[in-house]
Amino acid sequence: MLPFVKEAVQQLFSKPSTEAYPAAPAPAAPGYRGRIVFHADRCISCGMCERVCAGGAISTTSEETEEGTLITRRFFLGSCTFCANCADFCVKNAIELTDDYHMVARDENDLVVTGTYLKKKPAAKKPAACNADEPESTVKPRDDGLPVSDPAKCVYCTLCAKKCPAGALTVDRKEKIWKLDEDKCIGCGTCHEVCPKKAIIM
Amino acid sequence: MFKKLIDNAAAKSPWLYHINAGSCNGCDIELVAVLTPRYDAERLGFKLAGTPRHADIVVVSGPVTVQSKDRVLRTIEQVPDPKVIVTLGSCPRSCNVFKGSYSVAGPLDKYVPIDVSIAGCAPKPEAIIDGLALAAKILKEKREAKK
Repeated sequence: MLPFVKEAVQQLFSKPSTEAYPAAPAPAAPGYRGRIVFHADRCISCGMCERVCAGGAISTTSEETEEGTLITRRFFLGSCTFCANCADFCVKNAIELTDDYHMVARDENDLVVTGTYLKKKPAAKKPAACNADEPESTVKPRDDGLPVSDPAKCVYCTLCAKKCPAGALTVDRKEKIWKLDEDKCIGCGTCHEVCPKKAIIM
Repeated sequence: MFKKLIDNAAAKSPWLYHINAGSCNGCDIELVAVLTPRYDAERLGFKLAGTPRHADIVVVSGPVTVQSKDRVLRTIEQVPDPKVIVTLGSCPRSCNVFKGSYSVAGPLDKYVPIDVSIAGCAPKPEAIIDGLALAAKILKEKREAKK
């Protein structure tokens, strides 16, 4: 009988196993995927997040203004699976899933995360310079079936280089270089398919 | 005086009724975790009711499938007014990944107004406690408005 008494006395003075939640804060475990934070200033409008979203929670609206296109990305957490596909695929790490799990709302709009940024119109100088190199900005497909990039459309997101199975593409965002290694290229068309801006012509 | 006592007591102990409208069971398991000793929502007054006729708060999980739609609506109709409808997880709010499926008739707000939506897939038990606390607050407001 004695062991039971010991156990009973021990339990009497030990802390309850129930979480004290509303009274005490309960931080989420490391790596928890909660409320989305969108860093609009980093977005390069490749649209990959929208395409990989499993729950169809991401939508984009754009508005033309004098300075350029005002792009708003809308994340509806009420439709989100928190799979973090958008954050994983974002080349610029503009999407972040925080450990904030307090996502309770009376109104649907409380579950919406939005970010707006301005996509400036190309400066007047730049197209002039481009035109000097190539009279028409429309790039013609190559005769040998290898891909070619349209610099007017390319946003240098590096997705094509990441997806290239032969490692034939070198893309530098800072230097605005899109380079194809013709010997390595197998002409599979993966870059053409994956390009969010449809800038690669085959 | 007696009625006031009952009203005060009822405000502190809302009863839940849980409907699975084609959920994957993730949210259901989290709700069970909330009601069992680890998170113990009963210490906050929430109690799982056996029948919708005894319930104050209806917790719906799942995207409302074609098969479950009539049954869900019939069950919600049986809950006496004032009632609070809580959606658990993303599915009843927007159908989530089941959006556009031939067998899904949701989301739930096509049929009944949703009072509280708890986001998450599945929501963390702490988030469910938050949601239920908000639902209890809304229930109190609705009762006072009805007086």
